[in-house]
Amino acid sequence: MPADPAVSAPAPAGRLPSTVVARLTAKKAARSGALWGYFFGICVASSALTYLSSYKTRAARENLVASFGSNTALAALFGPAHQLQTVAGFTAYKVLGFLSIVGAVWGLLAGTRLLRGEEDAGRWELLLAGQTTRRGAAAQALAGLGAGLATLFAVTALVTVVTGRSSKVHFAVGEAVFFALALVCSAAVFLAVGALASQLAATRRQAAAYGGYALGACYVLRMVADSGVGLDWLRWATPFGWVELLQPLTAPDWLPLLPTATLIVALAGATVHLAGTRDLGASVFPDRSSAPMRPQLLNGALGLAARLMRPTVVAWGAALAVTAFIFGFIAKPAGVALSGSNSINRVLSHLGAHGAGADAYLGIAFLMMSIMLVFVAAGQVTASRAEEAEGRLDHLLVRPLSRWSWLGARVLEATAVLAVGGLGVGVFAWLGAASGHAGLPFSSIVDAGLNMVPPALFVVGVGALVIGVWPRATSIATYGLIVWSILVTLVGGFSNNNHWLLDTSLFHQMAPAPASAPNWTAGGVMTAIGAAAAMVGAAAFRRRDLVGE
Amino acid sequence: MTDVVSAAERGKPQGGRTAIRTQGLSKRYGPVDALINLDLEVSKGEVVGYLGPNGAGKTTTIRLLLGLARPTAGRAEIFGIDCQRQPVEAHRRVAYVPGEASLWPSLTGAETLHLLGRVQGRVDAGYRDELIERFDLDASKKVRAYSKGNRQKVILIAGLMTRADLLLLDEPTAGLDPLMEQAFRHCIHEARERGQTVFLSSHILSEVEALCDRVGILRGGALVEMGTMAELRHLSALTVEATFDGPVPDLTGVEGVSSIETVGHVVRCQVRGSVEPLLQALAASGVHELLSHEPSLEELFLAHYGRRAETQGVTADAG
Ligand SMILES: Nc1ncnc2c1ncn2[C@@H]1O[C@H](COP(=O)(O)OP(=O)(O)OP(=O)(O)O)[C@@H](O)[C@H]1O
Ligand SMILES: [Mg+2]
Repeated sequence: MPADPAVSAPAPAGRLPSTVVARLTAKKAARSGALWGYFFGICVASSALTYLSSYKTRAARENLVASFGSNTALAALFGPAHQLQTVAGFTAYKVLGFLSIVGAVWGLLAGTRLLRGEEDAGRWELLLAGQTTRRGAAAQALAGLGAGLATLFAVTALVTVVTGRSSKVHFAVGEAVFFALALVCSAAVFLAVGALASQLAATRRQAAAYGGYALGACYVLRMVADSGVGLDWLRWATPFGWVELLQPLTAPDWLPLLPTATLIVALAGATVHLAGTRDLGASVFPDRSSAPMRPQLLNGALGLAARLMRPTVVAWGAALAVTAFIFGFIAKPAGVALSGSNSINRVLSHLGAHGAGADAYLGIAFLMMSIMLVFVAAGQVTASRAEEAEGRLDHLLVRPLSRWSWLGARVLEATAVLAVGGLGVGVFAWLGAASGHAGLPFSSIVDAGLNMVPPALFVVGVGALVIGVWPRATSIATYGLIVWSILVTLVGGFSNNNHWLLDTSLFHQMAPAPASAPNWTAGGVMTAIGAAAAMVGAAAFRRRDLVGE
Repeated sequence: MTDVVSAAERGKPQGGRTAIRTQGLSKRYGPVDALINLDLEVSKGEVVGYLGPNGAGKTTTIRLLLGLARPTAGRAEIFGIDCQRQPVEAHRRVAYVPGEASLWPSLTGAETLHLLGRVQGRVDAGYRDELIERFDLDASKKVRAYSKGNRQKVILIAGLMTRADLLLLDEPTAGLDPLMEQAFRHCIHEARERGQTVFLSSHILSEVEALCDRVGILRGGALVEMGTMAELRHLSALTVEATFDGPVPDLTGVEGVSSIETVGHVVRCQVRGSVEPLLQALAASGVHELLSHEPSLEELFLAHYGRRAETQGVTADAG
């Protein structure tokens, strides 16, 4: 490698070649950060505006406090509520817990993608060409992630400040900025977790899995801390707890920023240190490089899809089963707390339900798990597209396998996974409910699980359509559809929005079973539309070039 | 030398059935004409080399033949089967080896070969094991842990093990060490003995020269030359070096002679077409020693590449 910069590969004029990793990472991270910053901002703005339009009177607000304010079952799900009689308190309650999870997942995926993913793709090798050390490269990548985080924060803060300037919302600028800071804290921590996991694991997927375990553990600890069983001090044990303790907009406290910052610095330091102790492309925990032959599934497109998706499907399956069990287990106390609350019933009736008690609570819980299931569906779609984009599909399609069969196999595999997923959620929720002596009938809970399947199948159908007609937009289109649906549902659940808007949400089409009976007709129509979309997609797929990234 | 002669004899399409036929095959990517009006005919049992500078359209041709891309115009057949309309039927008789293999990182080499064999539906298991041995591949390793060359071996073995009637090879030896390159050539010789047809795109000219009966040269999406090695040589210049006892004669103006260099008593020049006029001119001046050599494929190829700049304005009407 040339040591003399004069003879090294020509660098674009005016830029130091040695910061190339930082610049590249920053560019990618900032783009993503800006996008999610808008999402964060829109969530804040829509919550504040929804509150103003839905809870106009003092009585309505007092009622809201009475039903949500001290409900520990809901606190376990969404985090504790403070000052719900104010727009600030409501907004903080509504978005802080939710966006902390979204931010953490974003941080984890961005961190692993931009460190492990880029390294695996061999891009660093090309970029570095001996111009900096491994440590230097890792530090640069961290700086790039920092730029992405700063963008996320800046955009979130901007939209929040603008929202706060509305005379009715009225957040002071300082309060709004502190709120934005609290919203991105978990993203910051999990960016660093992703960076560290990228050093430990041998592949991007494995790194994301390590980070995912950490995230899941933190979330469960946070749920326990907020469940009102006297373990409140556990809030000090996790990044999610620290975010709650910041109490933005209601009783701001700077102290929890200290452990947050300390943890980030420690994780970043460990990342840089470990990067120096390993080879480029290698990991600290060695990956098994050899494996015995397991040919059972490797007999065609369907078997291959099953084999490739197995690790992801197993991880999601475990997460869904645990979540369903926990939700079922606390159904009885949660239902008692909810029954008789007008506000909750109003929220439910906006969603189309007329239940009360444990059924009503489970209606919301299944809605949340339905969101998880549509993410599984989107993951299946984007994994199929990745087979094409990364060139692996070529090896199958140059053999006597038609495009129709390949796409059909992928759709079939996804359908089976989602159907089993919905059924499994129902069964585990019932097992949880039975263990908690909620006394709910098996059939209605399992039906509620199956009720989650049509929206997920719809996502698969739309995904197959986009793969056929506009392959490069597959990720954006499927995740866009999901994010849009979440937003509409989030807003729609609390206000009288017009039906036309609500109908564009995947989840609004779905009855909130078991709070109301599943609407099998609507589910059937959704599935049929999804199937038709998949057919059109397959027809288009047969008539186009295979395209890379 | 003998190789080349036999190649010349074998090279011409001999009226038998064709393996590959394209008519007016064209592909356009936005403003780029990747392939322009390609008319190509390869007979069964032929080994054809396909050369051209980067971006000439070699990969595009092969992807069109495989139906991975759709032509903008024209059509292509493999053994009389339309590549676009009946890809599955066509693929039963084809094996494809790309120059860069992105495989499933979590599968081992053996699992990958098993999978691709099952999808192909036809594998010579004995030959597969022999190939694994010959290419010295540790098939129990995961693809993720392979070096580039080892990944290439997997995909090469996957292609060869089917003993397909037609091998479409796109820089198949990219990343292989010289020993493995040797093993590859051995396999292609075997394939030819068995009557398989081979279509080999490559940048390794010695490989093409050693293996191929006919060679096509592609430039800017258009086929500029196609013929046996002997035919191509005929089109190109012969290098002649003459040493004189006495004074060196002036060869300028002699028919077909160009690029004359004189160093002391030695003259070096290029001859195109008949050598008669040059020999007559030399005979008159008392030649002490006369050397000539046919251009290697590399020289032919460089001559073609070199003309790129000169003929840039002319290539438009070639297509
Ligand atoms: N998917 C694509 N989209 C746009 N342009 C393309 C695409 N594939 C190829 N091209 C263009 O078509 C032309 C021919 O490319 P092709 O890959 O066939 O060249 P090649 O002869 O195989 O080159 P190399 O020797 O580098 O492999 C190039 O100009 C290339 O940029
Ligand atoms: Mg190529």
